Amino acid sequence: MKALILVGGFGTRLRPLTLSVPKPLVEFANKPMILHQIEALKAIGVTEVVLAINYQPEVMMNFLKDFETKLEIKITCSQETEPLGTAGPLALARDKLIDGSGEPFFVLNSDVISEYPLKQMMEFHKVHGGEASIMVTKVDEPSKYGVVVMEESTGKVEKFVEKPKIFVGNKINAGIYLLNPSVLDKIELKPTSIEKEVFPKIAAEDKLYAMVLPGFWMDIGQPRDYITGLRLYLESLRKKSSSKLANGPHIVGNVLVDETAKIGEGCLIGPDVAIGPGCIVESGVRLSRCSVMRGVRIKKHACISSSIIGWHSTVGQWARVENLTILGEDVHVCDEIYSNGGVVLPHKEIKSSILKPEIVM
Amino acid sequence: MILHQIEALKAIGVTEVVLAINYQPEVMLNFLKEYEKKLEIKITCSQETEPLGTAGPLALARDKLIDDSGTPFFVLNSDVISEYPLKQMIEFHKGHGGEASIMVTKVDEPSKYGVVLMEETSGKVERFVEKPKIFVGNKINAGIYLLNPSVLDRIELRPTSIEKEVFPKIAAEKKLFAMVLPGFWMDIGQPKDYVTGLRLYLDSLRKMSSPKLATGPHIVGNVLVDESAVIGEGCLIGPDVAIGPGCIIDSGVRLSRCTVMRGVRIKKHACISSSIIGWHSTVGRWARVENMTILGEDVHVGDEVYSNGGVVLPHKEIKSSILKPEIVM
Repeated sequence: MKALILVGGFGTRLRPLTLSVPKPLVEFANKPMILHQIEALKAIGVTEVVLAINYQPEVMMNFLKDFETKLEIKITCSQETEPLGTAGPLALARDKLIDGSGEPFFVLNSDVISEYPLKQMMEFHKVHGGEASIMVTKVDEPSKYGVVVMEESTGKVEKFVEKPKIFVGNKINAGIYLLNPSVLDKIELKPTSIEKEVFPKIAAEDKLYAMVLPGFWMDIGQPRDYITGLRLYLESLRKKSSSKLANGPHIVGNVLVDETAKIGEGCLIGPDVAIGPGCIVESGVRLSRCSVMRGVRIKKHACISSSIIGWHSTVGQWARVENLTILGEDVHVCDEIYSNGGVVLPHKEIKSSILKPEIVM
Repeated sequence: MILHQIEALKAIGVTEVVLAINYQPEVMLNFLKEYEKKLEIKITCSQETEPLGTAGPLALARDKLIDDSGTPFFVLNSDVISEYPLKQMIEFHKGHGGEASIMVTKVDEPSKYGVVLMEETSGKVERFVEKPKIFVGNKINAGIYLLNPSVLDRIELRPTSIEKEVFPKIAAEKKLFAMVLPGFWMDIGQPKDYVTGLRLYLDSLRKMSSPKLATGPHIVGNVLVDESAVIGEGCLIGPDVAIGPGCIIDSGVRLSRCTVMRGVRIKKHACISSSIIGWHSTVGRWARVENMTILGEDVHVGDEVYSNGGVVLPHKEIKSSILKPEIVM
C-alpha cells in the first residue's frame, strides 16, 4: 500500500527551528515530525511513502535513507518545481501512487499530529464504498478553518465551507485522507487546492465520506500549537499507560526524557515537557510546558516554561525563559537573563534580557 | 566580498591565500575552486574548531603561512573594503625595517573603536587604546596587516586578540609601524555600513574614471549595472546603486543608494532607496522600499506595499506594509 505526505515548502512559521533543519525533520516529542507519520503508516502495512516537497531534497534524503533501512519501508521524494498547492502534488506523484492494484492510498498533511487510527479509517472506507474518505476533527473555533458539513449517521460529506462567518458546524478537515486511485483522474498537474477544487466535486457525486477522528489532533506548524500539541500527545501517551513517560520525585505530570539525557538534583520537571538526547539539565532547574532539543544544557536554577529550546543551545544559571521563547540552534542565554517571548535565530548569544516578545537576529 | 580582497592580493603577487574560518567550508570551497582557476591563485581554508579570536587563526595556519623564504605575509579582515594599496604597504614595511606594519584609517568617532597612537613622522606605534573615553587620537586599526614570519612565534594556538595581546608586545619593542590608509575605508559587515561603503567604493571608481560606471540619461551619480541586467524606459537610477546579473528593472522605477542582487525583478513605478534587495526577490509595482529595508533571498513584495526598514528572511511574501523597522520571519 502507498501513501503521500504533503511536506510543502520552507516551514517559515516554525522558524527559527526550520532555519537549521527542514520542517519534517524537526523533532516533536523527541522524534522527527515525519517519523511519527511514517511509523503510523508502516504499522498498517504501507510499503512505500512518497514525500511531496518543494525545495531541495538532499538534506532530507540523507536522513530518510536511515529511516528506510531501520523501518524497512520505501521512502521517495516527489519534488515540485513550482508550488502545486494541496492537490497538484498528487498528480505529480501519480506514477508512484498507482500500481495497478486498485488499492486506495493515504495522503497526510505533514504538520498534523494525531493518534493516526489508520486501520479504522480503512474499515470506514471499505464500508461506505465511496471514492474518498477524509478525517475530520472537532474544534472550538471553526471559523478559522475550513468546515466540513456532513450527514451525521453515514458521514457523507455535503459541502465544505471555508472560514464560515456563521456557525455551520464544528468539524474541520484534519488533513488525513484515504483516496481511491480514480481520484487522481480528477486532479490536473497544476496548482490546485484539494479542499476547494477536488473534494467539492467528489462530494457533489455523493462519493466523499468523513470520519470523525478519535483522539487528539493538532497542526503543529507553528510554535504555539507545537507546545499545545506536545501536551495533547503526552496526554495520549498517559492514557495508554505508556512506559515511555518519565517518573520520579522530580517529575510532575507528563514528561518525556530521552535515556541519554541527564537531570540533576533538586529539579522539578513537568508538566508537558520533552527532553531530547544528550541534554544536560543541571541541579535546581524548573521546566514546564517546554521542548528541549538534542544536546541542550540548562544550567543551575534556571526556570523555563512554554518555550522551545533549540539543538545545542544553553540556558544560563538563574535564567528565566518563558512565554513562547523559541531559541534556534546554538543559542546561548547568559546567566540571570530574562526572556519574555524572545525568538532567537541560530548562533546567537543573549547577554541582555528580552523584555517583550521580539525576534532577535 | 572576498573576491575584492583576493584580486587585490593577486595583483601584488600573492600566490596563496588562506581563509581562516570557523564554520563548514564546503559551500565556500565550491565557489573558491572557480576563483582559483580564473585568478590562478591558490586558495585554501584553515578551519577553527573553536573560535580563536583575531590572532589564534594565524597560529593555526602557521604551516601554510611560513615557507622559509622569510617573506612577510598579509593579514586582512574580511569585512573591510578599501583601495588596498598593498604595494605601498610593502614599500613602507621595507622602509621601516620593523617586524609588523598595520594600516590605520582616520574616523570621526574614534571612541567606538580601538585607537592607534603613533609617531606622526615615522609611523612607529606607541600604543593602542580600546574605545577611549577622552580624545587620544583619531586613527583606528583598519584591519590590514603585513607581518614578518617571526610574529607567528608570538602567537599561541588559543583564543587570542591581535589588538590586545600581540600588537602591544610588538609595539613595546618598537617594532610595530602604522601607515595611514590612503583612500576610502569601510567595515561593511552590517547593512547600514554596507550601503555607506557602496557609496565610498563607487566614489573611488569615479575618481579613477572607471569605465565600469554606467552612463546614460537615466543614470544619476555613480551607478554600477551588470551587463546582463535589463533596465526599462523612464527609470531614474542612482546615485550609489549597484545592480547585479540578470536583474530586470521594469519601466518607471526609481532606485537610489541601494544594492540589487542577482536575479531580482523590480516592477513598474517602484521606488527603492537605502536598501538591499536579495537574490531572486521581486519588488511589486508602485511599491515603496526604504530606510534600510533588507530583503533576503526569494522575497516577494506585493504591489503597492510600503516597507520602512523591514528586515525580511528568505522565501517570504510581503502582502501588507511594514510601517516601522522590524524583522519579518
